Amino acid sequence: MNPVRVAVAVLRKDLRSEWRTRELVPALAQFVILALLIGNFGFQIDSRNAASIAPGILWLALVFAGLVAFGRAFAAEREQASLEAMLMTPASPVAVFAGKAMAAFGLLVLCEAVMLPALSLFFGTPLSIGVIAAVLLASVGMAALGCLFAAMVARVRARELLLPLLTLPLWIPFIIAGGSALQSAMGLPGNYQEAVGLLIDFDILFIVLTSLAARFVLDE
Amino acid sequence: MNRHEKAAVGAVALMLLAAGAIFLYAPTDYLQGPVQRIFYLHVSSAIAAYGCFAVVLIGGIVYLRNESLAADRFARAGALVGVVLTTVTLVMGSLWAKKVWGAYWVWDARLTSTLVLWIIYAGYLTVRRLAEPGRQAARFAAVVGIFGFIDVPVVHFSVTWWNTQHPGAVIINDALPPEMLATFFFTMFCTLVLAGVMIAIRYRIETLLDERHGVTEPARVVAARGAEAGAEPVP
Repeated sequence: MNPVRVAVAVLRKDLRSEWRTRELVPALAQFVILALLIGNFGFQIDSRNAASIAPGILWLALVFAGLVAFGRAFAAEREQASLEAMLMTPASPVAVFAGKAMAAFGLLVLCEAVMLPALSLFFGTPLSIGVIAAVLLASVGMAALGCLFAAMVARVRARELLLPLLTLPLWIPFIIAGGSALQSAMGLPGNYQEAVGLLIDFDILFIVLTSLAARFVLDE
Repeated sequence: MNRHEKAAVGAVALMLLAAGAIFLYAPTDYLQGPVQRIFYLHVSSAIAAYGCFAVVLIGGIVYLRNESLAADRFARAGALVGVVLTTVTLVMGSLWAKKVWGAYWVWDARLTSTLVLWIIYAGYLTVRRLAEPGRQAARFAAVVGIFGFIDVPVVHFSVTWWNTQHPGAVIINDALPPEMLATFFFTMFCTLVLAGVMIAIRYRIETLLDERHGVTEPARVVAARGAEAGAEPVP
């Protein structure tokens, strides 16, 4: 079986089931708006400090929305034991994993499509190509790592506890580089190109590593 | 006394000797005063902790390759001892920082990546506690251990791009007088011995825990080992 076709099939399956239930994306969109609201009360944001505080709120909200999205990506499979069925086919586990990760990335992008305009609307920060590119680049690596750990915790008890505990520390590189990229894209001093270059490096590193590890995580 | 008890007594005696060297033999630092004596154990326990996490990494890789229970037990033992040593490093470092930098904590590359290291391996131990003992948990933990080991240099270098306060290497830069250097190397040797003894004892405990939980090597691993042994010429 062609691994690319398997991955695309899994991706389409996940997106179609989300389209039919319309469960996760509306809930995540509400969640990120709520997070912005809480950020506003927590920090007293005005036009002078928005560029330094808004990226922090964005990453906090995105990280927690991501945890929910990746946790759900495998929860449904677990409830119906459909993951086992997929793995029993001759399809390679890495291709199945890639499909799941791409679908989770897609859902995260949908959630960002709500969040970035809302951030710009509420806090007056620019919604430039630079901002969008930094957020998307960070999401790629975060989706790869998040999906790997979501696949692992799906079979362990106390998975809701374990997923954030294991995933958040590994996401820190993306938050460091992404936070720095976003601040300079929003007009604070900083080297945008250097930060984006670092994000691309991390994406490549973690995509390679998660593809290597996926075989051991999904193979049973 | 069994051999684990003897080893423990030996390691503790070595640490007391190291304490003697730190407080009685090593000279007092001209600029920082007595607080500089934290340096010896602070750096030694950090190096020993890296060693422990290397054991977790290697144990994890070996486990993923051939599902050897021994490799997994070494990984578990290494993670626990490594977290203890990292805690020592962090606590002693922040006491020292309070004295010379005026704050217990600064968000510097070295400090941040050490804290991330601590969090990752504390997470590793939580996985071992929460997951049912067995193959699934061991594989899961192996992946966590491997990713954790890679994440730390990544965090370290990504923060270095933006700021740094922690001093760099003083040992290899020949910045220490010979008495301090001798004390440092002796303390490092003692700490490494202590870490090794702790891992050996913990390994034994993990073996007993596995027996109690009924965790055994999968039949095909035992069969493969039997085949290997059978292939060897009988003396």
